[in-house]
Amino acid sequence: MIKPIYGMIAEFDNPSDLVRAARAAREKGYRKLDAYTPFPVEELSDALHLHKNRLPLIVLIGGICGGLVGYLLQYYVTVVYFPINIAGRPLHSWPAYIIITFELTILFAAISTVLGLLALCGLPTPYHPVFNVPRFALASRNRFFLCIEATDPLFDRDGTSSFLETLEPREVSEVAN
Amino acid sequence: MPEEQQVIDKPESREIIAPGYTFGTVTDQIATVVLTKKTPLFWFGGFGVGLALLFGFLLAVAVLFARGVGIWGLRTPVMWGFAITNFVWWIGIGHAGTLISAILLLLNQAWRNSINRFAEAMTLFAVACAGMFPVLHLGRPWLAYWLFPYPNTMGVQPNFRSPLVWDVFAVSTYATVSLMFWYVGLMPDLATLRDRTNNRAARFIYGIMAMGWRGSARHWSVYETASLLLAGIATPLVLSVHTVVSFDFTIAIVPGWHSTFFPPYFVAGAIYSGFAMVLALAIPLRSVYGLQGLITDRHLDNSAKVMLATGLIVGYAYILEAFSAWYGGNVYEQSIFWNRMTGPYRYFYWSLVFCNIVAPNVLWFKRVRGTPALLFISSMVVLVGMWLERFVIIVSSLAQDFLPSSWSVFQATRWDWLTYFGTIGLFLFLFFLFIRLLPMISIFEVRTLLPQAKIEEEVQG
Amino acid sequence: MTAQALDFNLSTELKNDLKQWRTRALGVGIAGAVLCLIGLITNPFQFYRSYLWSYLLVLGLSLGPLAWLMLQYVTGGAWGVVIRRPCEAAARTIWLVALMFLPIVIGIRNLYPWSRAKDVAASAMLQHKQPYLNVQFFLIRAVVYFAGWWFLSWFFNRWSAVEDRDGGEVAHRKMAFLAGPGILFWGFTVTFMSIDWVLSLAPEWFSTIFGMLFIASQMLTSMAFLITLMVLLSFRRPMSEVLTPRHLHDLGKFLLALVMVWAYFSFSQFLIIWAGNLPEEIPWYLTRLNGGWQYVALALVFGHFALPFALLLSRDLKRNFKLLAGIAIFILCIRCVDLYWIVAPDFRKASFGLSWMDFTAPMGLIGIWLWYFLTQLEKRPLMPSQDPLLEEALAHGRE
Repeated sequence: MIKPIYGMIAEFDNPSDLVRAARAAREKGYRKLDAYTPFPVEELSDALHLHKNRLPLIVLIGGICGGLVGYLLQYYVTVVYFPINIAGRPLHSWPAYIIITFELTILFAAISTVLGLLALCGLPTPYHPVFNVPRFALASRNRFFLCIEATDPLFDRDGTSSFLETLEPREVSEVAN
Repeated sequence: MPEEQQVIDKPESREIIAPGYTFGTVTDQIATVVLTKKTPLFWFGGFGVGLALLFGFLLAVAVLFARGVGIWGLRTPVMWGFAITNFVWWIGIGHAGTLISAILLLLNQAWRNSINRFAEAMTLFAVACAGMFPVLHLGRPWLAYWLFPYPNTMGVQPNFRSPLVWDVFAVSTYATVSLMFWYVGLMPDLATLRDRTNNRAARFIYGIMAMGWRGSARHWSVYETASLLLAGIATPLVLSVHTVVSFDFTIAIVPGWHSTFFPPYFVAGAIYSGFAMVLALAIPLRSVYGLQGLITDRHLDNSAKVMLATGLIVGYAYILEAFSAWYGGNVYEQSIFWNRMTGPYRYFYWSLVFCNIVAPNVLWFKRVRGTPALLFISSMVVLVGMWLERFVIIVSSLAQDFLPSSWSVFQATRWDWLTYFGTIGLFLFLFFLFIRLLPMISIFEVRTLLPQAKIEEEVQG
Repeated sequence: MTAQALDFNLSTELKNDLKQWRTRALGVGIAGAVLCLIGLITNPFQFYRSYLWSYLLVLGLSLGPLAWLMLQYVTGGAWGVVIRRPCEAAARTIWLVALMFLPIVIGIRNLYPWSRAKDVAASAMLQHKQPYLNVQFFLIRAVVYFAGWWFLSWFFNRWSAVEDRDGGEVAHRKMAFLAGPGILFWGFTVTFMSIDWVLSLAPEWFSTIFGMLFIASQMLTSMAFLITLMVLLSFRRPMSEVLTPRHLHDLGKFLLALVMVWAYFSFSQFLIIWAGNLPEEIPWYLTRLNGGWQYVALALVFGHFALPFALLLSRDLKRNFKLLAGIAIFILCIRCVDLYWIVAPDFRKASFGLSWMDFTAPMGLIGIWLWYFLTQLEKRPLMPSQDPLLEEALAHGRE
């Protein structure tokens, strides 16, 4: 029994080749795919059939919560908890409360964006198998990687490796687990 | 490789990135500034100046804590002197960073990609400097937390009808969101540094900060959404911050302050001084680090145009201010305006008119916009002008308000000046640390500007 | 498809459409004008009041596009190429709009308190403002505004025609050269126009942001109109081959931004005056927040900000031709409400009210203006074939 591996990874020179390879792999029937690039490549979302993410919804909910917290905080403090006549303004001075309501909406929305980003990406992830590939350090410089994971039903070490070779990569390597 | 180097050295002026770059050379050129072992001499110079001024700041603050705000020139009726002037000035400078990173992203202005990083850093440090002043001005800064609403034994709460409390929320939100925006933008580049460095400690630290970013397509897709959302959130925020700062004045009914035009006028002025600061930083930086291929003349030209446009809005505000002082028919407004032009602050007033409305008109000329040295000088003029503007608005209105018997002229003390220059030191100190430790240009966003980044595909049937 | 392969002249189907729209517009316009004439005889006071706010709407339809035109030369953005010709046609209507100003000149004493000697004698404030607010200077300023706007409109149309005939570079550079100073002039004149024609209805009141607010409103009105027009044109050639969701998306972003700017300016003005609570400022809002007017104000908060803002946030909606046009038409309607809320309460201080002329006056003015605008639109090809940014604009749409 050979030690189980994470998958096979192919290295490409430019983003066009990677997108072409991703489409080919998808057409071949592979589903457990991921691509690694040094900058966002819009076409990959289409090539890998990535779903629309739920981040906007998270941010919307966060923003609404922030607004509610902001307004209710001021209402509670000035009308219920500490009612005091200041310069003859009404206790419930709604025009003055808009500002803090707005700021807290923004603050909560922004925090939800960042936390949502981390949660949806599963970060922080200090260890990940792809880092075991020595040349993978170039994924943050000028190389483009396509990884077929071992959990894919179609995956078998030799077949997948020779399939990746047909896509004319620079190099194909195994990803240890 | 030598061929590549040659084109990098002689960029075409009209491009937002010089031809001949590859993904590799872009990465190396920006990352090397951080990863090299050799620190250039001028860096020590700049850092040294910053550090020296920072010590001055610490001294001024120590004396302030020991003896109280009386060491500043604050005397009735001018209780807002330098501290609030500097606060407004610094906050304004910060605005250009958010404008470049957020608004220009929403407008698909690709040229922003090579200046957004250091502009955002500038925002953060400017906000840090700005935040010093209201806190120091409190008199008892160690009680600053009283500004926040929390259940306390005294049974009192902040007055939510006061713009000064709005400021607390606006500025702290702004600082938090700017920091998060900046950090999210840094993550992929931190991963690059992690993968490029040979130093174990550096790899560990950058690795922790990068949170294990690996450039997965799934992550990028969420990341792009997050960037757009943060930009959409930061845009109204940045407008609101200087609006709230302007409310500090307009909500008060002091003559010369109570003007409905202040919110957009303050925002325009903020962007005006902010772009001046961007130019004042970018012009020397790009020449000492040889980054003319990434921060091209086109960037300087565009920034100068933004400066001109916002400068004209500020000019519009001055003219309307003068007209409305007369048209409004309020005698206090009229006298405050007359006193500004002819009273004890007339030199300040006329120099700010020169610096803010007369001088920047040279930017109409392409030749001026294309000469970095001239641009550098005009941005300095604008920075001085905008400081004077805040000073004149704040001090002249307070010094001569409703009651002539209590009029008095503000005299800045050496501690006022030391605190002010001290924050410039703090800014320089943080900024030089930043350019030494983090990539000052967003590497991954510059990669997307290269022609190679465009995907060539056969059209699918 | 490249630009050479496209024919930008109006297709026969579109010409037929335009003819039909024109006839209808003229019909509505004449009907409105006749009814207004009856109103002028029976109740002249009400006529001028209804006419003023309707006139301000039509003014925005003509002046706003002029500003969009100049903005696009200044910024060099490809977003504006598709709306260039409608903007030029709208700018060419400026002389008609100047002509439509005449009834206001005739009715000046019915509208503006500062023009009536009796009111001036009773108010020290109005006497103080006499050097600015007097009939002669008012007319001189109006002539200067119209002359300037007419010149700008003539200039940009003339060089645009030259560009079509002789090719791009020189003419484009000329237009870009004047566009910067042109915007400056436009901004100042629209500001002072708003002070003269609107703000001086309540001559004791002043707000420095008013000019800016008016500029934003005019840009919003015109962008809503342009979007509606582009969607209507998109059903027929040549626009059916040019216009893509991407172009509309850009225009929709402007609409969203302007809705936000309008809310920002309006709220800032309100908050500052509310918090200041000064006797010379607050009456303007007291009139507009009492006697039934508060419901109009509430309608503005929702209709002019909350609803369009929430809808326009959606990216899919901004790319949907019919939905976006629906919102644009809604915004045009709510613009009328806003203008009415700004202008009319000074005449109806006691309580909210509407006259039948508040319907016929906009009918007449908009109908006649639209008729003239459509005749102008037909005169030139619908896209500037020699625009240096044309290829970029077409490619931008296809991405």
